[in-house]
Amino acid sequence: MIRYLRLYGYFLRFSFSRAMEFRFDFFFRIFMDTLWYGHHLVFFWILYRHTSLLGGWTVDQMFVFAGGVFFADAIQMTMVANNLWMLPNYVNKGDLDYYLVRPVSSLFFLSLRDFAANSFVNLLMAIGLFTWALARFPGPLGGGAVAAYVGLLLLGCLLHYCLQMIFTIPVFWLHSSGGLREIFWSLDRYTSRPHGIFTGWVRKLLVSLLPFALIVSFPTAALFGGLTWRLVAHLAGVTAAAFLLMVWIWSRGLRAYSSASS
Amino acid sequence: MRLFWNIAGIEARKRMSYRADFWLNSLVAFGTELGVAYFIVAAMFSGADRLGGYSRNGMLLYYVAIILVARVVRSTDLEWAIADDIYQGALSRYLLYPVSYGVLKYAAQIGALLPAFVQVALFSAWVPFVLGIPEGIRLTPATAAMCLGAVMVANALHFLMTYPIQLVAFWADNCWNLLIAHRLVAMLLGGILLPLSLFPSWSQPLLNALPFRYMFAFPVDALLGRLSVAEYASGMAIALGWCGVAAMLSAAVWRRGTLQYTGVGM
Repeated sequence: MIRYLRLYGYFLRFSFSRAMEFRFDFFFRIFMDTLWYGHHLVFFWILYRHTSLLGGWTVDQMFVFAGGVFFADAIQMTMVANNLWMLPNYVNKGDLDYYLVRPVSSLFFLSLRDFAANSFVNLLMAIGLFTWALARFPGPLGGGAVAAYVGLLLLGCLLHYCLQMIFTIPVFWLHSSGGLREIFWSLDRYTSRPHGIFTGWVRKLLVSLLPFALIVSFPTAALFGGLTWRLVAHLAGVTAAAFLLMVWIWSRGLRAYSSASS
Repeated sequence: MRLFWNIAGIEARKRMSYRADFWLNSLVAFGTELGVAYFIVAAMFSGADRLGGYSRNGMLLYYVAIILVARVVRSTDLEWAIADDIYQGALSRYLLYPVSYGVLKYAAQIGALLPAFVQVALFSAWVPFVLGIPEGIRLTPATAAMCLGAVMVANALHFLMTYPIQLVAFWADNCWNLLIAHRLVAMLLGGILLPLSLFPSWSQPLLNALPFRYMFAFPVDALLGRLSVAEYASGMAIALGWCGVAAMLSAAVWRRGTLQYTGVGM
């Protein structure tokens, strides 16, 4: 464990020094993410000009939900996005060999090697917006409930990573430019909408087989509706299942990998 | 002109040879976009009969139309081929051709529209049977023709708006963030996320003056019969005006960029 933490420390140092070499990119990414935050807030603000409740939530609750979406997205963009973006290239060009011969878990190395230092600024901004949304909430929110919310959100981030990997790993067999990544990004739209608006089989699907509603919406529901063991068990169970599935598909993928230009 | 259509034809043939994953991705993307829009509309209309001048089915038809129009208008925008040519040094060979680089790329984009048109035909086939023509919507051959004209201008405007952004690659190592930023602004202010009639009244003059409406919401408003002939004419004039502004900006950026282009690639 200590060895992995020390290794991650090296990843961070290398990523920050490299980010400062590409200064334009550094600021462009901050600019893009800032617009993304604004775009979400304006969207909900306009919606609530025409309705008082959306999926059972008020505008104040929706801003907390949006803060959670920003936080989860910033974690993903900062820690894993660059790595998962490059993974299909490594597989298709045979560059994966370099990572497979290292004396550490290949999944760890490939998922966390490139820490997006420019997105780290956005992570700080997302935390600021998240705190702002919680602070402006008119009702009482206990410290314990907020701490549980953050814990569940981090679990949601892990689930988000697992889902992204599950959709990317098929590149071992498909040899396409991104596996099923495009499909993942399409479905990921469900992450940024409250699960209360969905009904029927779509809602069931979004909390089970395609659990995008669990990433942020479920933790937010726990914050406002009360934390129940059933909800925690549901989120933890689905995340554990997704993690095990990801590890299994990864090991199968490595077996199918035939190195150079496979 | 013959060269323009030859390039467009080659690109169209190339695009139609796409494999199953392209069509699967397109279908899932359309289904998801429409699915999210459907549930948002259902939630919004749970306490109202009309919003922003639309009935529930009228707003659903708006979303179907704008999702499909956006595919045609955007064409290949996220492939950042122009920025890639600059990064990789592939621009050098185009500089030797006796034809404008921008025109070549626009011809390729026109060719790439063929799969988008096939998607529009396939993905909209169910609409008359499910939604019909909702109250307050006037869909006639004349409005379809108006929409087609507006889409052609919108496609050119979108290309001209993203062209100078991609040319930033002459100076920066990575400009995809700027393209995404443009996309986010265009989605919000162009009416993809929400019909522009839901925006506050004080923002309407601004929305009408900016170019984003003319890329997406304007062709859809024309299709659904929500524009008078005078509104349509003035909208087209504004859109063409923005095309002119973007073309001038592109030419200026191109001149500056090519002066310092070294052609060595990444």
